[in-house]
Amino acid sequence: MLLKLIKFAAVCVAFIAGVSHAAAHGERAQEPYLRTRTVQFYDVHFSKTEVKVNERFELTGKFRLMQDWPDAVTPPDIVFVSSISPGPTIARIETYLNGWPARQSFARLELGRDYEFRMVLEGRTPGSSHIHPSISIKGSGPLVGPGQWVNISGEAHSFAFPIKTMTGLQIEDLQTFGLAHAVGWHLAWLAVAAAWLSFWLARPLILPRWLVLQKGREDLLISLRDTGAGIIVSAIVLVMVFGGYVRASAEYPYNVPLQSGLNRVAPLPASPAYAEIKVISATYDVPGRSMRLATQITNKGSEPLSIGELTTANIRFLNQSLPVAMANVDPSYPRDLIARTGLKLSSDTPINPGETREVRVEATDAVWELERLVSFLTDVDSKFGGLLLLYAPNGERVIAEMGGPIVPVFTELK
Amino acid sequence: MTSTADIDAAASPRENTRFKDKKGETVISVSGLTPGAARYSRLFDVLVVAAVVTIFGGAIHLHVMLTVGDWDMYVDWKDRQYWPLVMPVSMIMFPAALQAIFWVNFRLPIGATVGATALLIATWIGRYANWWIWTGFPFTEGVPSQALAGALLMDMTLIVLRNSLFTSIIGGFAFGFVFWPSNYSALAPFYLPVEHQGMVASLADMIGYTFPRSNMPEYLRIIERGTLRTFGSSVSWVSAAFAGFICIFMHQLWWRLGLFASQATFLKNSDVVKSFMGIKSSVAS
Repeated sequence: MLLKLIKFAAVCVAFIAGVSHAAAHGERAQEPYLRTRTVQFYDVHFSKTEVKVNERFELTGKFRLMQDWPDAVTPPDIVFVSSISPGPTIARIETYLNGWPARQSFARLELGRDYEFRMVLEGRTPGSSHIHPSISIKGSGPLVGPGQWVNISGEAHSFAFPIKTMTGLQIEDLQTFGLAHAVGWHLAWLAVAAAWLSFWLARPLILPRWLVLQKGREDLLISLRDTGAGIIVSAIVLVMVFGGYVRASAEYPYNVPLQSGLNRVAPLPASPAYAEIKVISATYDVPGRSMRLATQITNKGSEPLSIGELTTANIRFLNQSLPVAMANVDPSYPRDLIARTGLKLSSDTPINPGETREVRVEATDAVWELERLVSFLTDVDSKFGGLLLLYAPNGERVIAEMGGPIVPVFTELK
Repeated sequence: MTSTADIDAAASPRENTRFKDKKGETVISVSGLTPGAARYSRLFDVLVVAAVVTIFGGAIHLHVMLTVGDWDMYVDWKDRQYWPLVMPVSMIMFPAALQAIFWVNFRLPIGATVGATALLIATWIGRYANWWIWTGFPFTEGVPSQALAGALLMDMTLIVLRNSLFTSIIGGFAFGFVFWPSNYSALAPFYLPVEHQGMVASLADMIGYTFPRSNMPEYLRIIERGTLRTFGSSVSWVSAAFAGFICIFMHQLWWRLGLFASQATFLKNSDVVKSFMGIKSSVAS
């Protein structure tokens, strides 16, 4: 028996010792069709990855709402721009969508268009926090952008969030304001309840009262004095309820209801459709962890265009032979989301204006598996999506949407 | 031979002086419990109280969290329209059932108060452990609501009127109606207005915005959308009155459910079941 107890205790200790801080948010658990065919984030930038408690930093970037929006996902009719963190390790100071305040949600964002977000955040809880930009769509849930580790240093208790009300009241810390008032009222109610309960619990309770009731002696259990006590407590309760309400109304005469309502914002100006991409075929080589696309690219602009990057689900496959594409990688972009092998192209020369060229694009990396993106093989419509970034010699960038059906290959392609 | 006085003294010395009728009879003496049984009955009382507070505290808390959890958990969900309506309608259920059990079986007019007290204690334990220690949210974001004012009025109605139907009509209505004013007193500071990014916000809005819940987008809040316009700004009182109306029926329903659930019924096992349980060697024998 003792041995069993020791074993059980050992298992418990091992379990508790093995518990670690949850750092991720389940972003890899989202189905690939959600991540590859809905919101494509790009130009994401963390102004700082090392901050102190109470120090502000900015998270900026853009996103494209894909034209080939999945049927299974509710369209972006009601959208909230947010950040995702492991709890409130950061404080959210201000958020903007295309320059408009984003404290509330937005109505009817347009598919196929781009939006720019900016979030001002502040370090709150010391430690390393994985922070993502996020677009929440009513009916579909949050769609997360690339996550970056932000190290917050300092002391947790030194965090404070002062704010001034429109009535002129200066609040030292939003985390604690009003708490003592609310707790005081709860304690007052508990005191009245405790008095009433004590009035009854001091007497013989369960068995004696049940036996007495069975003998028809209710007169012993409830007396006129008890009824009188009930009336007195009722009066106290009513005075507390309505007296407290009148007093609170007098003390806070300019209170406002919770604020609601949807905002509307126009998308960023549409960039000229200089590049048109048609996916002829797409395969995913399962053992080779390689997405292979046969594309037909038409340059409709006036400048030659070079393929610089394929990005989908926050993963970036870069044409490492194109300096301008490499220069487009922000130093703060999470390195685990940049495929080390890059992007392989059957033709690396610029596509001239007016030219239509067939280009085979190969994106090979273990990141497909690591990011759990290969489960698109089990999707009901087995499609993929992404953005192809092309560059003109003058550095101008053309962002083109691409996508279509994808076929899994379970043996290596020859 | 043990006298009545000895029995009472053994059970509860205070009872002799405080709870004695004109004939000198007390609850213990009429109950017929022996001194030993009386002592153990007191121990049983303590165990019952501990069990009721912990079990029902957990059960009611779970029930409220599952049915109207967001309204209770977040300060920026406590709106003028739905919060005063949905909270008491959910919170009255277990207190009404407990009230029936305590009253019908033991003539104790404390069931609703016990339920609401256990709920508030369990809620604050949950807020402290889950919100502060575990996830680090500020307390202000998770200030709960309380149903003690309504529960007390419900128990008082019961002891004065001693009738379940009238307790439903008057006490049940009071439970729903006073939820709004009794909680507004505690939470009024959170509705002070502030200006943020050029827009008006309440402090509650700001708390919810500043300390982000990752998967809690703003649009999930089901707060008033400009309805009840003909009542001007008295939205909450209309909701409170409607909550009281609904609580009348909820109280009567859960009173009956409480009585039904507290019945002890014995069913006769069939021979097949007995054989499975080893009580009978085999069906054939």
